[in-house]
Amino acid sequence: MQQIYDDIRGDFRYDNELNGCLNCGICTATCPAAHFYDYSPREIVQLLWTENVEQIYDAMQEKIWACAQCMTCAARCPFKNSPGGLVAIMREVAIKHEMQSAKDVLRPFGRVMLKLITTGNQLSPDMIQPDHFPDWGPNIQKVEGDLTVLRKAIPVKTLQTVETAWEVSLKTSVEMYTIWEMTGVLKSLELMDENLFDVIEDFIDEKREEYDEWLEEQEDDD
Amino acid sequence: MKPTDQNGSPDTGIAGHGSFFQETNLSREEAVRATDWVRKHVDRRTVDLGERMDDVREHMYELEKEGEIIIHRITDEHEPMAVRTLFGWEKKVPTKQLWHHKSCGQCGNIPGYPTSLLWFMNEFGFVPGKDYLDETDQTSCTAWNYHGSGIGNVESLAAVFLRNFHQAYVSGKQHGHELGHFYPLVHCGTSFGNYKEIRKYLIESAELREKVTKILGKLGRLVDGKLVIPEEIVHYSEWVHVMRNRIASELQKIDVSNIRATAHVACHYYKMVHEDAVYDPEVLGGNRTAIITSVAQALGAQVIDYSTWYDCCGFGFRHIISEREFTRSFTMDRKIRVAREEANADVMLANDTGCVTTMDKNQWIGKAHDQNFSIPIVADVQFAALACGADPFKIVQLQWHASPCEDLVEKMGISWSEAKKNFQEYLKEVEKGNIEYLYNPELAYGGQA
Ligand code: SF4
Ligand code: SF4
Repeated sequence: MQQIYDDIRGDFRYDNELNGCLNCGICTATCPAAHFYDYSPREIVQLLWTENVEQIYDAMQEKIWACAQCMTCAARCPFKNSPGGLVAIMREVAIKHEMQSAKDVLRPFGRVMLKLITTGNQLSPDMIQPDHFPDWGPNIQKVEGDLTVLRKAIPVKTLQTVETAWEVSLKTSVEMYTIWEMTGVLKSLELMDENLFDVIEDFIDEKREEYDEWLEEQEDDD
Repeated sequence: MKPTDQNGSPDTGIAGHGSFFQETNLSREEAVRATDWVRKHVDRRTVDLGERMDDVREHMYELEKEGEIIIHRITDEHEPMAVRTLFGWEKKVPTKQLWHHKSCGQCGNIPGYPTSLLWFMNEFGFVPGKDYLDETDQTSCTAWNYHGSGIGNVESLAAVFLRNFHQAYVSGKQHGHELGHFYPLVHCGTSFGNYKEIRKYLIESAELREKVTKILGKLGRLVDGKLVIPEEIVHYSEWVHVMRNRIASELQKIDVSNIRATAHVACHYYKMVHEDAVYDPEVLGGNRTAIITSVAQALGAQVIDYSTWYDCCGFGFRHIISEREFTRSFTMDRKIRVAREEANADVMLANDTGCVTTMDKNQWIGKAHDQNFSIPIVADVQFAALACGADPFKIVQLQWHASPCEDLVEKMGISWSEAKKNFQEYLKEVEKGNIEYLYNPELAYGGQA
């Protein structure tokens, strides 16, 4: 527990984000998450400010995931605190310590995570379909037609894609995988969801091979 | 007599207070003191503030002098225009030689806003491959994932930022220009906020710089062994803001003075690293960020205020995917309903992927909760393109929107059914492979102009 608190406090952003607290509640008054959840940015700041280690740990079991990361609180706080920024640190620490709350919350996010880690894009045209988002209604597009054709009707070549938001070159993707690896992002993913991690690793290996082959072809051509 | 709500409080919704607003009954002296405090510290931290906030750019110039980094500068060639920011800094907004940095949410589902932007550049006679570039060598900023899941970290965000902006810096070479010819224009509000925050951390932390230098070195993305950091981070709506008078005077074809427009500015545009967001004393008295409102005003639309202007849209990063009740309840209750009831808006203008998606797509389900409110949601640049005669389907791509754009288009005097008919004809051509482009598509792959 103490280690978790020390990790939060040890983040280099911590002193930037927490500068004291007037307990005025401006942050909570303006917070969208506070409207709908048992959550209050003021409480998060107070817990950290008063070093209430036990309750900080409790808040990380669920509450911190309510924050919508809009940073309205940060723009309003007279002390220039950023409750949303503190929550971001707490989430990273929750993942590092493999807390169950992080695993639970991230499971339904898996499909999007897969897309992001492998392609760098998040929502792609083939995902924004009524079967994925039934609550967006039957008419989420105003023109009937095949998705591929509708995308081809966008007069910008890079956007004429279906599985990613825009076409990303292979070299770019491979560079991104190196970043994921070197910064420990893939490691965090493995801690959170081993199955997803395996799928992603296979995908990355395949793309790298494809890229190597392409490079060899280029050399042969020269 | 002013209208009152059921508590007897003045119901001055359109002026900026909702019906829940209650008088505080402060004495005049107390009220002046309280108002001054809020003005100084919260609302209007503009030009007249006296004390300036620490300016990250000054630290960048020092680091550059010490030989630590290279700054991607905005030069006269970029034909910049100066704007004021919340804390009174002057910010340069380049108007030409732009490297379009796309948004992973927007391109997938609101493609009309990048296309409208490119369309404007063409209308101004910009030459693709010289005055702007749209290429495939870029990733998203990945901050959506970070804010949604916590997977990712400052180091990964910094490496992605520097990789993409290095590519922007060197991209001109392929087209026979100098290094730094193209300047990145960020399409996404989330990327904009994230990049500014990360830039601050990079400038503050030598340790972070050291870590990412290793990564960028491995990727071959250092210049003379140094990191390249942009002088300004520039959002597309800032480009629209500085071009608004030219848009209105040179390109506008349609009178929009009968249109009641409300604005929703992306939180990550002006609430993250807020000292850098553009404010203009001429726009809403400098009390709110100028972008969006300024272009609507320049086009002659009626800009109507509403009490929840400051609220977020409810996107929540993770929430829009896996806690949709939160997203849709917030967006319906705090944005759509209010803009409808208080402002009777014909349109809500926004400037970000997440906000347009959230407010656009979540209206239908409201009906299940007797929330029969709807408003067309489009980006500022899409609205401007419509006012300048762009095709609602081929260019503004309104077919991807779920909100009721038909009425807005008709109210602007454009025939929706006619445009739709033409577009459906065009789709048949597309099927045959006869596709129209805004510019030579080879440029997307690094080809010659
Ligand atoms: S607004 Fe700032 S000072 Fe006020 S309660 Fe929130 S964190 Fe504390
Ligand atoms: S960032 Fe989080 S805590 Fe702050 S106002 Fe937004 S939802 Fe609330």
